[in-house]
Amino acid sequence: MRSKIHSVTTQIKSITEDLNNVKIFTLSDPEGWPLPNFKPGAHLDVYLQSGLIRQYSLCGDHKNVSQYKIAVQKEKNGRGGSNEMHSLKEGMILPVSLPRDHFPLAKASRHIFIAGGIGITPFLSMLPELIREKVDWELHVCAKSETEIACHSLLKSYEKNINFFKHLSNNETRLSMNSVISKISCDEHLYCCGPASMINDAVKTGISLGDRLHFEKFGFDDDLNDAAYQIILKKSGRVIQVPKGQTMLGALRIADIKVPASCEGGICLECKTRFFEGSPIHRDLAMQPDDRSRFLTPCVSSCASESIELDL
Amino acid sequence: MAKNITTWSGTVLGLHKTPRSFLPMKSFGSLLLLAGIGIEGDRHATGEAFHSDRPEEGRQITLFEEETIEALLRDHNIKLKPEDHRRNITTRDVPLNHLVGKRFKVGDAVLEATRLSTPCRHIEQITGLELFNQLTNRSGLNAKIIVGGEIFVGDTIKLV
Repeated sequence: MRSKIHSVTTQIKSITEDLNNVKIFTLSDPEGWPLPNFKPGAHLDVYLQSGLIRQYSLCGDHKNVSQYKIAVQKEKNGRGGSNEMHSLKEGMILPVSLPRDHFPLAKASRHIFIAGGIGITPFLSMLPELIREKVDWELHVCAKSETEIACHSLLKSYEKNINFFKHLSNNETRLSMNSVISKISCDEHLYCCGPASMINDAVKTGISLGDRLHFEKFGFDDDLNDAAYQIILKKSGRVIQVPKGQTMLGALRIADIKVPASCEGGICLECKTRFFEGSPIHRDLAMQPDDRSRFLTPCVSSCASESIELDL
Repeated sequence: MAKNITTWSGTVLGLHKTPRSFLPMKSFGSLLLLAGIGIEGDRHATGEAFHSDRPEEGRQITLFEEETIEALLRDHNIKLKPEDHRRNITTRDVPLNHLVGKRFKVGDAVLEATRLSTPCRHIEQITGLELFNQLTNRSGLNAKIIVGGEIFVGDTIKLV
């Protein structure tokens, strides 16, 4: 677990249960001191007792630094983080990172948000800022049914806004990515947060938007279509096969190579590994551009060449 | 032979503290200095500073020159606020880099300068400002508290 002095110490002030297995945690300093500032769209790394590190978007107004709000949906087949979060109690100490700003608001005349499931959370910190600054926005919330909309209680105040649209797949109001994207003008930006399939759809449909398309993916991308390749371990000389559909980290684990890893989503950089030969496909969200010429994150990165040599 | 004459006298412009690492520094009109320990309620006194895993007797209180804040803005367009540099005392007209090994008074308290502060990535992490290189040789001063007491904004700083 991260040492107290190398993390932001927060205390769980309240936990409220929302619909659809979502719990909303309100965190504050144990003595009420202001917390570090954050920008709309930022997230926290949460350092769990088990050693896991998990990322959760801040979903409160960034002007209120007396508290952080995060929403966590319990995933039945997740990697353990959400279950551990759901076992926490009010009053417990929860160490977190400084807020990280990987999904910022751009400068635009209008912002269009598409949220799938719990992917609504980063937008909940963006909307108060846009409303305060009188900047136009449009929010599309996608869920299977009305009761499966995440963060119901935090969305209530926006529901009557004419720019709020619900898309429910059980009543044929499913989102048409094309109809949203085709109406976006050249000084407007699109933000998408949700499961990998939704992001992939947005990226494919919105290719003409270029850098006006912003997305934050969560969960494991099960759409791994990269070709098979080999990992060559420089120190031992071993060669490990990575079949199609397998992550680099997964292949290393099967070969009993121990690589420290935590978030397994390309954010915490715990698994950051030096490479020498080969062409990695970087899918992390956090490495400095300069680092990408020397390091990769085996949890999400893949390989475009036939083999890649790692410093292992 | 040059005489050792002190020609300067400085002022306390700002006082700041925070109880734990990473938390914002808050401004105060006065701080209570505890001899041999640190500032009441500050992270260096309670062992909750970012560097407290490397304890250092000479880091009970820290100082920073307002002139550096001005130079960063003038020369690099970096807007560093007094609460951003994370030192406890912001000074005016005090040659901090020349005080290592010397004792000086802040109001009625007496400090002994132990070493120059060094630039730290921790500040970049917190402020989001790129200023590591720009703080080389002007990152402030670490000191221990020889005589404690309450110090105030506006207090005079001078050699003992």
